[in-house]
Amino acid sequence: MIRYLLLPPLLLLLVIAQITLLDLFTLGWVGMEISLVVVIYSGFHLDTFPGGIISLLLGFFMDCLTSTMFGLYMFLYLLIFYLSLFAARMIYSEKPSLIALFTGICTLLEGLAIVLLYRLLLGGDILYAIPKIFIPKAILLGLLSPFLFHLFHRFEVLLHAKELQPAQRV
Amino acid sequence: MILPKKYRAITAAIVLLLVSLSILAYSAARLSETGPLRKMVLEIAAPVEDAINLSLKGLHDAWNRYLFLVGKGDESRRLRRENAALNELLNSYREGFLEGMRLRKLLDIKDRLHHRAVAARVIDSDRTSLFKTLLINKGTTEGLRVGLPVVADQGVVGRIIETSWHASRVLMLIDENSNIDALIQRTRAQGILQGAGSAGCNLKYIPREENVQTGDVVLSSGLAGVFPKGLLLGVVTGTSGQEGGLFLKIDVASAVDFSKLEEVLIPIPDAGPKP
Repeated sequence: MIRYLLLPPLLLLLVIAQITLLDLFTLGWVGMEISLVVVIYSGFHLDTFPGGIISLLLGFFMDCLTSTMFGLYMFLYLLIFYLSLFAARMIYSEKPSLIALFTGICTLLEGLAIVLLYRLLLGGDILYAIPKIFIPKAILLGLLSPFLFHLFHRFEVLLHAKELQPAQRV
Repeated sequence: MILPKKYRAITAAIVLLLVSLSILAYSAARLSETGPLRKMVLEIAAPVEDAINLSLKGLHDAWNRYLFLVGKGDESRRLRRENAALNELLNSYREGFLEGMRLRKLLDIKDRLHHRAVAARVIDSDRTSLFKTLLINKGTTEGLRVGLPVVADQGVVGRIIETSWHASRVLMLIDENSNIDALIQRTRAQGILQGAGSAGCNLKYIPREENVQTGDVVLSSGLAGVFPKGLLLGVVTGTSGQEGGLFLKIDVASAVDFSKLEEVLIPIPDAGPKP
């Protein structure tokens, strides 16, 4: 229960850290969208309900703090989460190269979807963003994702261990 | 209607996606509106973002200050190097100027002597040993020979006792072996100025009757033909009449400060003195 109560502030902190701290590492050249990797990880490793909640919350916070179109990231993150959930049943999701490839593809798909939705809903043309922003971002996140998956897994194990401790004592 | 379990997840996914798409479409139509939930998230996130950005700015400023200080350190080191080089240059110019002044004084002496003269640099000074000698950087190649007088702008230095092609040794007038015909400028009394080592010189063979006073100037008399007449030898620093003796004991301080001697002039008479 505590895990679910802690989840929103933790995810909010992640998004804040992502838009303030992590962008520094790439000097603003390309966005470090760690939240997207969390969504993909949720699709690969979590059940539908907690994974869906995490994706929805992350999308919501991203919409609140970065997006000009409210609901854009909620929709995209849910889409990517279900895509990852589906992919996890089809591929061996522990192989680093597959994780990197899938993350790269999802980042590109997210970029394409944003370009498409901008054109459909706002009539704006941001096609230039694909080579300038989304392809570098896909490469960067793809390369980082196996390491990030490992970190998330460690964090998940830590959370479970803390939850199990009272039961073991009984 | 209750859905079978295997379709529940798919249905939930479709419903969630449709709902979020509807929200997106709705908000796209009303971009200016900010819902209460968004406002709340922004309210929570803003101070956190502010705190992080302030910390980052602090770090950034500190880093910039560090880089600035590193730059200043480099600049300071460069300026110190330049300063040292300029000081060295200034010193060499100052030395050159002082040397010029000294040489001008020597030239004045040369003009007064009406002789051909050779200017030489003192390359070694042996004032602490038994023999008080100087080494100069001119020798027989420049026409120097044993016995020639050596003078400085302050007065007589001594005479040459050894020569090689490009160097000569000079016996200082304060050496015990040095004897120069001298006279007291005020009384014209003549005697022999003998070196007395670090104590200076003694003027000998001046009769007791002579009125010699401290401060009297002693000049070369030019009698022996070694030193031209009228060159400054020293100043009387004290006199005492030896009991029962015929002559006065006169202490003379050399006019030349041998510790600061750098250049000397050697007048070469047309018919040089025999060594």
